[in-house]
Amino acid sequence: MIIAPTNAVSAEVSPVDVHARGALLLLLASSLGWLVLSGILALIAAIQLHSPAFLQDLPWLTHGRAEALRETAFIYGWAANAGLGIGLWLVGRLGGNLLRALNWTVTGTVFWNLGVLAGLVGIALGDMTSLPMLQLPRYVQPLLVVAYAAIALSGVLAWSGRRVDSTYASQWYVVAALFLFPWLLTAGQMVMLWAPMRGTLQAIAAAWYAQGIWSFWLAPLALAGAYYIVPKVTGRLLPSYEFAPLAFWVLLMAGGWTAGRALVGGPVPAWISTVAIVAGMLVLFHHMVLGLNLRVVLGGTGNALSFIRFGLAAYILSGVLNAIVSFRVVAERLHFTFAGSALDQLAYQGAISTLFFGSIYYMLPRLTGRTWSSGALIVGHRVLFIAGVVGAVVSLTVAGWLQGGYLLDGKTPVADILGNIRGPLLIATASQLVMLAANLLLVVNFFQSVCPCRTADASSPGPFRQPSAVEATAT
Amino acid sequence: MNGPSNSDPRIDQAVVTDDAVVVAHEKLLGKQPDEKARYRLLPLNLLFIFSGLIFFGATYLGRYAGYFDPKVFDETAPKATAAAAAPEDPIEKGKKVYATVCAACHQANGMGLPGAFPPLVESEWVVGSEERLIRIALHGLQGPVKVKGADFNSMMPAAGRVAGSGFNLSDDRIAAVLTYVRQEWGNKAGPITTEKVAEIHGKEGDHKPWTAAELEKLP
Amino acid sequence: MKNAPVFLFGLLAALTISWAGIVLGSHAQLGALAPYFDDGDQQSYPFRQSGIAARGQLVYAELGCASCHTQQVRRPGYGSDQARGWGDRQSVARDYIHQIVPQLGGLRLGPDLANLAARKPNAPAAEDLMKLLYLGSPTHPAYRFLFQERQISGQRSLKALPLAGRDAPAANYEIVPTEQAQSLVSYLLSLNHAFVYPEARPAPKETKAGAPAHAAPKETPVPAAAPDEKKKTEGAKK
Repeated sequence: MIIAPTNAVSAEVSPVDVHARGALLLLLASSLGWLVLSGILALIAAIQLHSPAFLQDLPWLTHGRAEALRETAFIYGWAANAGLGIGLWLVGRLGGNLLRALNWTVTGTVFWNLGVLAGLVGIALGDMTSLPMLQLPRYVQPLLVVAYAAIALSGVLAWSGRRVDSTYASQWYVVAALFLFPWLLTAGQMVMLWAPMRGTLQAIAAAWYAQGIWSFWLAPLALAGAYYIVPKVTGRLLPSYEFAPLAFWVLLMAGGWTAGRALVGGPVPAWISTVAIVAGMLVLFHHMVLGLNLRVVLGGTGNALSFIRFGLAAYILSGVLNAIVSFRVVAERLHFTFAGSALDQLAYQGAISTLFFGSIYYMLPRLTGRTWSSGALIVGHRVLFIAGVVGAVVSLTVAGWLQGGYLLDGKTPVADILGNIRGPLLIATASQLVMLAANLLLVVNFFQSVCPCRTADASSPGPFRQPSAVEATAT
Repeated sequence: MNGPSNSDPRIDQAVVTDDAVVVAHEKLLGKQPDEKARYRLLPLNLLFIFSGLIFFGATYLGRYAGYFDPKVFDETAPKATAAAAAPEDPIEKGKKVYATVCAACHQANGMGLPGAFPPLVESEWVVGSEERLIRIALHGLQGPVKVKGADFNSMMPAAGRVAGSGFNLSDDRIAAVLTYVRQEWGNKAGPITTEKVAEIHGKEGDHKPWTAAELEKLP
Repeated sequence: MKNAPVFLFGLLAALTISWAGIVLGSHAQLGALAPYFDDGDQQSYPFRQSGIAARGQLVYAELGCASCHTQQVRRPGYGSDQARGWGDRQSVARDYIHQIVPQLGGLRLGPDLANLAARKPNAPAAEDLMKLLYLGSPTHPAYRFLFQERQISGQRSLKALPLAGRDAPAANYEIVPTEQAQSLVSYLLSLNHAFVYPEARPAPKETKAGAPAHAAPKETPVPAAAPDEKKKTEGAKK
């Protein structure tokens, strides 16, 4: 079904984009800096897995710290900045009015990034909290809450002050992410850092928080871009869209409950893992509707859609695999192995990063009013990055499967297992290198594209066609 | 059509405006699935699958949630044992007590040391009268004793919670360790109950270590 | 989803319900978990961490040891933890109540450490751990920064590592562990899940209810079928 044209002729580069250009470019530029840093750290951490002696004399880069630094730079550096940039842009455009409170956004961005930087230094010096996904030291956490609220403010204002009364799926997802993250972060801090709960309750809270990062924050931001760009580029109505609200609420309602799968078989009451298994199955409904809605992506072409196609496939696959491995029968073999790292790579690189890349490729020309500097770099980035993700996910899955088998067989000494899975781990390291190289191509292309020194290469009316005019001629 | 062509790979052209996307999809949300009496299978199937997932979830929770009991860590535990913890296997418990208290003299294999400490394996004192065995464990034994035809003469300290005891084992631990030695290493005598130990403990109080002669008067 | 207050309230409810269910729910159940007093031993379990062990746990946390080591034993029959000598029973929540930052971990590239000090057949000695930390192994990095090489003044330090051959320091020098290394090792040697709490005992399966027949005390009914017995033990615990 083709979307019918409206009478309003709105330019593809709207005043909304021009007005928000500075603030959003700041968010995107900082996100890319963190992306490269986390890539370097990921490479170091990956090498340390098969060659434990690598950098062993640097106390600030023990494997545990390198891993914590990588994770923090990725989540709070790259994903937070990029996701906020994309989210604000989406609600701004869909709302149809100029974004307000952008000076708050800029100030918030500066302080957020300073906070993350201070946190990384703190982790390197030995102040990490050792809570997964919340490794940032206690002293930067309140700053982050305030800075995030300042950045997100303009997004919530843009949504509530929108020009048309109707709302669209992208808006729900962005508003959910913008609005819920400060609550998530505050709640997580309270019970784990400021007034820590006793014993394993901390581990339960940490699992809930880590799952919340996915279900309440990053997954919604990534999906918002996909929901927006797919109909825009293909011009088609999303099939089964009437189920999109249910899918949205299923993700939010059931998503948080899947936390306990990180603790299966552990020192927590059995019901926590059982509830997680059930919630994991329920969330599959979300993935199914998402697949039905966005299947029109298969028919489109273009850079953004190529990324989004792979990202959505990874997103759905990760949902299905997470549901499967949470069952105790499977977890007996795969829990505590590299299979978990493989799923993380699939979810965070395969789904989140790739969907963000798709959104950025679509969004940047609208922000700058110019095309990307190089088409070849875009293709290079896509090919290399997808190769890297596939390589990392497949090799870590193989490593995890083998490792799980050796661990289950009580006779193989633990010290021998590493030697037996060194091959796949080497491939995983190579994949991290490929991903890093791919992302450097994006960084080069990005800075070439936004550089004011760039000579205007676009033809005078601007690089964009007028969407509604095209529609009129097509019919 | 005076804009650039769609073929520039450095940009993704949009074919519809933002407003069109929002308005067109909003209409879909308001539409009833069976509008114009058109029968559509997909929504029904989706609802069916959703209900199926909920049904599965409820069943699974009922079966494997460990009754939402904070002390159930094994989801397969039957309900009867879920609330009250499983009782400790007296053999396992006795084994631990034996290792810390008895094995130093009687050895881990229960063979004792010839000439110094009597064996427990097939010993008539161990597999024989409960009355005598419990008293030995509670209060100790001193003086000459004949075990499996060999003579021993040394001092066994009291192990029970009695005056002068170095171990202060509670009655249930005495029962457990005696049950253990009566059923380990091929010994096949009946178990010793905590009640029986408590009864004798109550009757004899802080008796001084027994001699073999005193014990032989007992049943 | 057009009405801002209702929509935002719905979002907050989604977050809060899962928070209340998982975090607050388990807190309500386990937040007041007390040590277990064992009548037989006349002692409470688990033991409190000594000061140096508690410091050691912070060193363990800040070095990120948990990225390769878990500290949670799985129950016999689920995984091979028992066969590997990591522990004969499942780790339960009560094991961790005195720990400031429990280090459950998520990857077993190295062995599980929850029960290190009571590991079978034999637990490592402090010296083994110090040597592993200093020298490393093909699968473990060497953390030289946890040690100090210094000139021997007067007598050789009691804490100096007994190193020989290639690893030995130059003559008249000795390798001594820093305070960090000492507390880390004390912590590792305090890890003990040997005491069996009632809730940590393997649950008898329905198929073979109760303890094995030859061990069942004569006059006690089989526990699975005896609700009175259950009440009695519950009462005795309080």
